Amino acid sequence: MAAITAVGAYAPRFRITAEEFADAWGHFQASGISEKAVPAADEDALTMGYEAATRALEAAELTGDAIDWLAFASSHPPVAEEDLTARLGAMLAVNESATRHVFTGSTRAGTRALWAGMDAVDADETTTGLVVAADAPVGEPDSELDHAAGAGAAAFALEASGPADIVDRAEHSLPYPGTRFRNTGEEDTQGLGVTQYDRQAFTETIGGAVDALESDSSDDLEPASAAIQAPNGKLPYRAAGAAGVGTDEIQAAATVHDLGDLGAASVPVSLASALAEDHESILGVSFGSGAGADALVLECSGSVPAQVDLETDTNGADDEQTLSYAEYLRQRGVVTAGPPSGGGAYVSVPSWRRSIPQRYRLEAGRCPECGALSFPPEGACDECGSLAEYEAVELADTGRIEAVTTISQGGAPPEFAPQQSQAGDYAAAIVELPVAESSRTETGEGTVSLPAMGTDAAPDAFAVDDEIETTIRRIYTQEGVTRYGFKVRPAA
Amino acid sequence: MRILDEIYFIPGTPFTSMRDAYLVGAGQSAYGAFPSESYRSLFRTAFEDAVASVPNGLETGDVDEAFIGTLGVGGRQLGLSGPAVTEHVGLDGVPCTRVENACAASGFATRQAVQAVKSGMADVALAGGFEIMTDMSSDATKYWLGVSGETEWERLSGTTFSGVYAQMASAHMDKYGTTREQLSRVAVKNHANGAKNPHAQLGFECSLEEAQSAPVVADPLNLYHCCPTSDGAACALIVSEDVVDEYTDDPIRVAGVGAGSDSVGLFQRDSYTGVPASQRAAETAYEVAGISPEELDFAEVHDCFAIAELLAYEDLGFCEKGEAGQFIESGATELGGELPVNTSGGLKSKGHPIGATGAGQVVEAFKQLSGKAGERQIENPTRGLTHNVGGSGGASVIHVFEKETEVSV
Repeated sequence: MAAITAVGAYAPRFRITAEEFADAWGHFQASGISEKAVPAADEDALTMGYEAATRALEAAELTGDAIDWLAFASSHPPVAEEDLTARLGAMLAVNESATRHVFTGSTRAGTRALWAGMDAVDADETTTGLVVAADAPVGEPDSELDHAAGAGAAAFALEASGPADIVDRAEHSLPYPGTRFRNTGEEDTQGLGVTQYDRQAFTETIGGAVDALESDSSDDLEPASAAIQAPNGKLPYRAAGAAGVGTDEIQAAATVHDLGDLGAASVPVSLASALAEDHESILGVSFGSGAGADALVLECSGSVPAQVDLETDTNGADDEQTLSYAEYLRQRGVVTAGPPSGGGAYVSVPSWRRSIPQRYRLEAGRCPECGALSFPPEGACDECGSLAEYEAVELADTGRIEAVTTISQGGAPPEFAPQQSQAGDYAAAIVELPVAESSRTETGEGTVSLPAMGTDAAPDAFAVDDEIETTIRRIYTQEGVTRYGFKVRPAA
Repeated sequence: MRILDEIYFIPGTPFTSMRDAYLVGAGQSAYGAFPSESYRSLFRTAFEDAVASVPNGLETGDVDEAFIGTLGVGGRQLGLSGPAVTEHVGLDGVPCTRVENACAASGFATRQAVQAVKSGMADVALAGGFEIMTDMSSDATKYWLGVSGETEWERLSGTTFSGVYAQMASAHMDKYGTTREQLSRVAVKNHANGAKNPHAQLGFECSLEEAQSAPVVADPLNLYHCCPTSDGAACALIVSEDVVDEYTDDPIRVAGVGAGSDSVGLFQRDSYTGVPASQRAAETAYEVAGISPEELDFAEVHDCFAIAELLAYEDLGFCEKGEAGQFIESGATELGGELPVNTSGGLKSKGHPIGATGAGQVVEAFKQLSGKAGERQIENPTRGLTHNVGGSGGASVIHVFEKETEVSV
């Protein structure tokens, strides 16, 4: 048996209301959704997964090196082929020999990742596993799927025992092609929209999975809440009968009404929300087109450490979070162009890769001769001129702004033209970061200065002497390869 | 080794044991956007203008060596771009070295020419520079505007130079209370001067209101706080004391040279409210020239952004640290003030064809000291300074030019 020992969840700061869609299109096709989360231009499933995972690790009071099993799940990952757990693991400082799995291809991927984590715990293959589910579905702008598409992520620490035991699980699968699919090479997910057929696929597979639960057969399944897959705000309630629960239980764990369709993160984020609210027993049932469903039963003996941050003002920043429909199209890159053709200041992928410890983990160097800090940790020591190898030092994830500007149109390097056309003006700062507590020694603590782009708040939310915290976001994409690295936002 | 040191190197007094170098001519093309010109044709214009400015004449065949500054990365990453222009003006066979120090390329080319002459390797050395920046789309142009910054960290935090200088401005404003209006006064002053310079790219006056209401580029810097992108070329002729009398009866001595370098990225420096490379360059140049800043009659400083001119006032000792804002407000650096700065219009109004800029500053010094600066002529100047910065301060070079005889204006 496996247990959830900590949970984290994240939603982007931007929201758009159903009314904005109705104004733009004459109607809003995603029933039961009043507003939904929109990923910022520098966010994707990987960065949202990083945000949720960081929160789960903080809640668990663990660092990445405690994780020996890592899974990442998304129906719409930023790359169709490439193992993102290598980058996610590096961002979280997960041990390089940890077992890793990617789950995709269906909105059921999130619960499949949980399932695999339980198997690994059951088989004694892991001491502490980390399951990360993140998603931001994309469809044609006029489709029901895109109207519903939200964004969010959840992460769970799994161990053999803990406050939330996963006491039962079952799955069920039936061939139902065409309800929701994305062919190889396509960007947009689509569905045929055969209403009754789609509902039947949904309820039959969900019913099959719940019926197969041992606890269901013994008739003692009476969960306080039910996290049911939510492609829109109505469909989960239609499956109430099949799942053997009432609409109140579904309502109790629902996130779809305020965040939209979270794809593979739908059930995980609802589970996280229910765990954070200390529900004693929780039923989770996912649905993935194809079709298949997973049912999980959680029994909580105590409170699960949680950092579940689904409100809009995660940073206490008092800036505009609600988008107009035109801004929504911009943020999502629907109506913007790519970068202009190339020129100077090219940073090759191998050069970028060498700097990953700095980009992801804020690794600075301490001079072994004089103890002074250096960032990036290369070249002669600024203080004493020594060319000795630096000792790696991790920097704290909070610090202070030393100098800052707001980059307007015309002030951005062309690599950032697409981001600027999507997200508008941005802050660019020099920030001072102290050494992380874990890296402090008697030879001195010190600070280093480094340049960083602002994110997660309007540019005027950044001023000299303000406190900031770091996160990881998309920096830019060149030659088709997206580079991720630290950015800063106002401190929480 | 010790003995050699004692003979050839006198600490703290570089060059003083060597022979003197003189500026006998300097010229430039107009700065601007010239779709019909090539980098070679612009260089030819500058070279011919420089040769024609030598009072007693100079033959192309007299030139022993050439140093040519250009960045040339934005549109064309040419090799041998130095010989490509010297050959074009008939300097066949003359040793030619291309110098790249970003926006300080031809300031450093000038320093190389002075070194060649002082060392005895050349009697007549050409220092020049050129750049073509306007023959591509504005987006493509931006690719190279940040190439002389720290590209892996600084640029990838989303900045080009406007952003980096804006960060310096933010730190200066925060620490010393410098205002946006004081920044805008740099534009007003330099446009007033540039309007009197027929070679200026933006040779029009602007009011304080216009300068303050321009669109923001990188807050607090607006469009009027930023120099334009430019095409242009400039040349200076440096000769030794042994031959100077052949070329002029009114010699202008290269009285002082100083240079410095620093971390390419602003974030790697100890201070954001000054340019340490310029401070070092100024200290050396004043020491070599045996002068203090009060003895200068004018200065051409590197005002790629308005804050850069204010920082230069402080780095070069024109005013106390932190007081540059009040200094420009006092009118001291206007034409007719106690120390006119950027009588040419500076980079802001005259233009900034990167590789040509340093040599172009020398052109203005030559014109002022020979009484040929027209409407913007300063009354009887004896001594002027040029200050040329690469990037946001990764390299800086300063020359002090001094007239040895009175010239009637």
